[in-house]
Amino acid sequence: MKINTTRFGELEVEKKDVIVFKEGLLGFENLKKFFIVDPGDQTLILWFQSAEDPATAFPIIEPKIFQPNYVVKLLPAELNSLDLESINDASVYTILTIPKVVTEMSANLKAPIVINNKTKVARQIVLQDSKLEVRCKMYKELKKYIVSYASDDSNRTTASAPSVTSPSDAQISSTEPSVTEEQGPTKDL
Amino acid sequence: MLVLTRKLGESIAIDDHIKIVVVQIKGKQVRLGIKAPKETKIHREEVYQAIQDQNTEASQSDLSSLSDLTSDLKKK
Repeated sequence: MKINTTRFGELEVEKKDVIVFKEGLLGFENLKKFFIVDPGDQTLILWFQSAEDPATAFPIIEPKIFQPNYVVKLLPAELNSLDLESINDASVYTILTIPKVVTEMSANLKAPIVINNKTKVARQIVLQDSKLEVRCKMYKELKKYIVSYASDDSNRTTASAPSVTSPSDAQISSTEPSVTEEQGPTKDL
Repeated sequence: MLVLTRKLGESIAIDDHIKIVVVQIKGKQVRLGIKAPKETKIHREEVYQAIQDQNTEASQSDLSSLSDLTSDLKKK
């Protein structure tokens, strides 16, 4: 189906790429359907675009990119609400706030968007961990990652036009070493 | 809204497994103790407000503000 957006014009979105909320994001409870747009600008920042309101889109990023130790721990009831057996079957994104002074950018680590990769059911889940910040400054870490990533040309192609992407396809975690408890020690390459 | 009056040390039971106790009253502040099953989510209301504010602010980002960031991030 074709979906009109304010920022990216008309995009062709396949049904399987539509992400569905039962409850909506906090403050946006009336919007239930979203999809992910890769703007193709090589910054690893994606857009969480509403399928129902062309003007509503949130810049998002995978938190592991700038904080490799970030682990989302869900309660059994939360896993149930997403029909998940394990968080490993889900994609996790954090919403970014990008003010005029870009170095002040922040990520909401307290309430990530969790998407079931199979069913595409999603929720913004408020985590119980009181150390997690709603506005975690992360410009430095992201820049560090992008500069080292961009220097390896084999990893990235050149900038391209905006395209719709599926949460599971967009995941980098499979290629990046991570240090979650579940996965145990990472292999030497 | 149901309104109940409680004295110091008294409590309220919600369902069978949630208990809220008035632990301390000091001037304008009340300290509450909450006993609930592990899967119950308990947050200060401000947390939800902060998340809602962050969501609203994030939704207003436009492509030009992001392109400033993009060029900045790619500088070595």
